[in-house]
Amino acid sequence: MIEANYFWINIFLLAVSAFGIRFSVIAVSKKLTITDRHKEIFTFIPAAILPAMTSQMVFFHQGQVGGLFGKERLVILLLAGVVCYFTRNLLATVGFGLVALYLLTQL
Amino acid sequence: MKIFAQGFRGMMPITVGIVPFGAVMGTVCADAQLSLFQSVGMNVFVFAGAAQLAAIELMSKNAESAVVLATGLIINLRFLLYSAALSPVVQNSSPLVKATSAYLLTDQTYAVMSAHQDRFQTNAQLVKFYFGAATCMALAWHLAVIAGYTFGSFAPKSFALDYAVPLSFVTLVVPTLKNRTYVYVMILSFVLAIFLRSLPLNLGLVVTALIALAVGIYLSKPQANPDGLGGSA
Repeated sequence: MIEANYFWINIFLLAVSAFGIRFSVIAVSKKLTITDRHKEIFTFIPAAILPAMTSQMVFFHQGQVGGLFGKERLVILLLAGVVCYFTRNLLATVGFGLVALYLLTQL
Repeated sequence: MKIFAQGFRGMMPITVGIVPFGAVMGTVCADAQLSLFQSVGMNVFVFAGAAQLAAIELMSKNAESAVVLATGLIINLRFLLYSAALSPVVQNSSPLVKATSAYLLTDQTYAVMSAHQDRFQTNAQLVKFYFGAATCMALAWHLAVIAGYTFGSFAPKSFALDYAVPLSFVTLVVPTLKNRTYVYVMILSFVLAIFLRSLPLNLGLVVTALIALAVGIYLSKPQANPDGLGGSA
């Protein structure tokens, strides 16, 4: 059981810090000179962050398909990337991944 | 309003990945014996899923507040990059719009906006699109947390709905890959994060992102004038 005062103090600190980080550059944006090169660099941010989050979620998950060394989530994720590239359809990609995982692990 | 609705609709498919994550958050809150008020309060005030999950785990072990704060700061450091990336879009907006857009900044909202950025001619239009996407994201997140808290894991375990979270990240990244350099950055980020996961203080994610970004900057740097003369003709 988390004590109420301790909880709210921590939440207050987390809320202030989370907002502070998010607002930091935006707050001073009017004083910044943002060139087209900067804007181009910013477009790399999703490709630099999201795959790192994704790989940590799937690579260290211990699965149950012996033939894939328990890494069925990793294999399906890579295939889902191919599906997404060719279909550009978000629901098709997620649907493919969930169905493939279900078939591999339950049948 | 039309552009706001476009943003809202643009985010809707991504909610397939947001709902399971929110449900996990709600279940974790209930397991930690937080009240519904505390759970909703945390989600509204902090609005940063990964940091919240880590915070609950630490608070359940009665960790020092400084440790909870430091862990949250490190996990949220990536928002510094998003903040920089969003700044040219809201540069000339009012302080209220800037503050609200900062509060609503998440991996998903930035990625959806980034993927649709080229469709809009002005920043004002893009901000409307962003707010539409962010509203959809926030609604899905909060409702999923409440559902997770109330009903627990509402799908059979065999459905592995938690897997929709990484799958949704794939759908966020792929539309942002404009050429081979972006693909190299994506592959590097994916592989490097595995090797750097054991870095202390959960720094692996941030270090990976910074290295991948640096490589992207290097690979995309403008070519020098082959004649060495500089300037344009």
